Amino acid sequence: MRQLVIQLARFGDLVQTKRLLLSLLAEPETEVHLCLDRSLAGLAAILYPKVILHPVTAHGTALAKLSAEEQAQALLTANVPAFRRLARLDFQRVYNLNFSPLNFRVASLFDPSIVRGHVWHNGQESVGQWARLAMRWSSMRRIGLNIADFWAWHHPTPVSPREVNPPVQGRGGGLGVVLAGRESRRSLPPKELAGLVTSLLETNPTLGNGPITLLGSTFEAKAAHQLLRELPTKHAGKAKNLCGATDWPGLIEAVAELDLLLTPDTGTMHLAAALGTPVLATFLSSAWCSETGPYGQGHRIFQAITDCLPCLESQPCELGVICLRAFSDARLMRYLATSAPKHLPEGLLDLESAFDSLGVVYVSTAGEDTSNGLRSDFREFLARHLGAGYSWEHPDALKFAERLYSERDWMTPDLESSHNRAFLSTMKYLL
Amino acid sequence: MRVLVVLPLYGGSLPVGRYCASALAELGHVVEVFEAPEFYTSFQAIKGLKVTSDRLQYLENSYLQVVSQAVLAKVDTFEPDLVLALAQAPLSIQTLKRLKRDGVATAMWFVEDYRLFTYWQAFAQHYDFFAVIQKGDFIEQLKRLGVERSLYLPLAAHPDVHKRLELSGVERRKFGSDVSFMGAGYPNRRVAFRQLVRFDFKLWGTDWDGDSILMPYVQMAGARVTSEDCVRIFNATKVNINLHSSIQAKELVTGGDFVNPRTFEVAACGAFQLVDRRSLMSELFADDELAIFDNMDELSPRIEHYLASPEERITIAKRGQARVLAQHTYAARMRTLLEFVAECRPGWPKPRAVSAASEGLPPELATDIQSLLERLGLPSDTGFNDLVWAVRQQQGKLGELDAAVLFLDEWRKLYARQTGKA
Repeated sequence: MRQLVIQLARFGDLVQTKRLLLSLLAEPETEVHLCLDRSLAGLAAILYPKVILHPVTAHGTALAKLSAEEQAQALLTANVPAFRRLARLDFQRVYNLNFSPLNFRVASLFDPSIVRGHVWHNGQESVGQWARLAMRWSSMRRIGLNIADFWAWHHPTPVSPREVNPPVQGRGGGLGVVLAGRESRRSLPPKELAGLVTSLLETNPTLGNGPITLLGSTFEAKAAHQLLRELPTKHAGKAKNLCGATDWPGLIEAVAELDLLLTPDTGTMHLAAALGTPVLATFLSSAWCSETGPYGQGHRIFQAITDCLPCLESQPCELGVICLRAFSDARLMRYLATSAPKHLPEGLLDLESAFDSLGVVYVSTAGEDTSNGLRSDFREFLARHLGAGYSWEHPDALKFAERLYSERDWMTPDLESSHNRAFLSTMKYLL
Repeated sequence: MRVLVVLPLYGGSLPVGRYCASALAELGHVVEVFEAPEFYTSFQAIKGLKVTSDRLQYLENSYLQVVSQAVLAKVDTFEPDLVLALAQAPLSIQTLKRLKRDGVATAMWFVEDYRLFTYWQAFAQHYDFFAVIQKGDFIEQLKRLGVERSLYLPLAAHPDVHKRLELSGVERRKFGSDVSFMGAGYPNRRVAFRQLVRFDFKLWGTDWDGDSILMPYVQMAGARVTSEDCVRIFNATKVNINLHSSIQAKELVTGGDFVNPRTFEVAACGAFQLVDRRSLMSELFADDELAIFDNMDELSPRIEHYLASPEERITIAKRGQARVLAQHTYAARMRTLLEFVAECRPGWPKPRAVSAASEGLPPELATDIQSLLERLGLPSDTGFNDLVWAVRQQQGKLGELDAAVLFLDEWRKLYARQTGKA
């Protein structure tokens, strides 16, 4: 079976497509193709060596500065041959993952009946039932499904979450620190980041004795210098600044050797998880780990939980970014040193990643996760919908049915409906 | 320019709307059609619910609001320079107000008799332009309502459809006769046509039930006749009777004002018709371009005369055909309407990016784009945005260039948003 995944989003999204790609590769006599942005082809070739790549020009701020004619020339010259190859490959199934106008246009190359997710039907964009359901639950961000699992569950029977990434294990390369400026409110400012780095180095002998590696793009060079200025000299002197200095193989090599990667919600975080490098992720502002936390068992997340979260990065914060306070609280160092929950600053959860029948979950080891009960009901509802290890003895899951199923789901046919999904998974075992 | 043609859910102005869309495309405009008839089945289903009348009214009104919202969504996406609605088009007053607020030009071609179809009194003032098929008192009434931008725009024919046909022997037998009438069984016609049964007479169309004298002459059991079969009937008949409709049977030939579409359509086919005189007819046709009767006393003798004079029939029909093809086509009407709108609305249509879609591309890509334009029936200087719309209107799987053009368009929009470029 020849199948195509269209993933036109960024670095982190490409890595988070892994469970779906592995699920397709696990099928008998399968040939898996991936259509992606050209800039990520080098990374994809290393991460997914068994997948046939189809790079297209989907992103490029440099292109945006060209004249309309030059843009047309650049995009058409690059994309027409790529689209021609895709159109001729006679795919049996296409998973079109992103709710983006670009994805819908690529879908126009295929018969709508073979496309899952985001479909082009005689000039009309349409969204399949699974993605529509996700849009509805996206308003409940604290309990949402991890996006890697959401994409994987486009497949009727995805591989076990345990098979996705290697077990978490430090490799002796010290602490890596990711600096990220693209969505700046999600990242710790240099002072708070320096405090956390210092705490980690001084409370963990393995890290304290190892090197520090700063990671990021050329845009983060300034942030890296600010961090180095904030760090005590003894630590700053051990730091190797690789911001803007690594290509894809270089980044993979650097991340794979680490004992721990300290990072906000970034592509490098997902890369570390994909390589089995332990992650300590800081989630605040618009980032919520249920949606985009590191994939695997045993990663650690400090999740800010002030009432205003998760917010929208695109809207200004009128509360003085209060979600940041817990990260600058002196008790955080004490908590790291003692692991005693009573020292964890207010407004913060310490979570560890684990698995259930749907995929990755984040279990609180300190701090009260008030969404836990609701999340559990929601996952039961989803498990029933997906036919994934559900039980019918969980009455509270019903409330989600009324909230998340719409009249359209019930009344109109859909290739992605729960009964079609069940049919397909049954057929898979019969054939 | 871009024109969104909004068809009615059903009815007589439906084919007129389709001819308008086709004519606008023929004039080189990018046309999108709002296919309201596709919503009509659901509307009928609501009518069949057998629920209380207040519930039914609520459901019907709600549904029509949804349809009207669908037109708005289409306008938001297509960004037309003009929304052209045909009589009974599902545009609510709320929608028309919103279009006015957004500066979208709206025109209604009201191809109905204003004395019978009186709902225009609630809607006309909400359109920017109101084209009508009658003159005189109607224009005054519209002015009283505050409608200053009204335009007399008589009906027409569409030569792509209404044309001379070479019919097979089978078709001639099926559709042909000495005398025929194709149309609905209005009261005046029911009475008038009783005197035609002594000829080799065929009656086509709907609403003839219950008339014991005429029923034996009704063809296809009174089923609706397609536009294609209408043209076959016109072509196959020696004398096409064209009696304008009236809802009363006292005065059979009313001498009313507007000229019906059949007059233009039969003429465009190069077929012969005997038509009742209308007060606006002399502005549209010269005396020797149509065979006319003024009252019922004249009808039968003239039929006899023309049946016996085939050459005269041919001569008159050819003159009528020439007149229609020269002046009374839907393309000509649409040109008139657009000129009127442009005259009344300085700066309309708002200029769009003017560079041709293939401009600035390397020769190989430019040739590919030119071939694509040709395939889509667009002029070679078509702009990129109009090309995108034409590509999007295609059905089924798209080719690589088509998809790449759509992709480029969306990519530009995304990056224009990100970089703040307009």
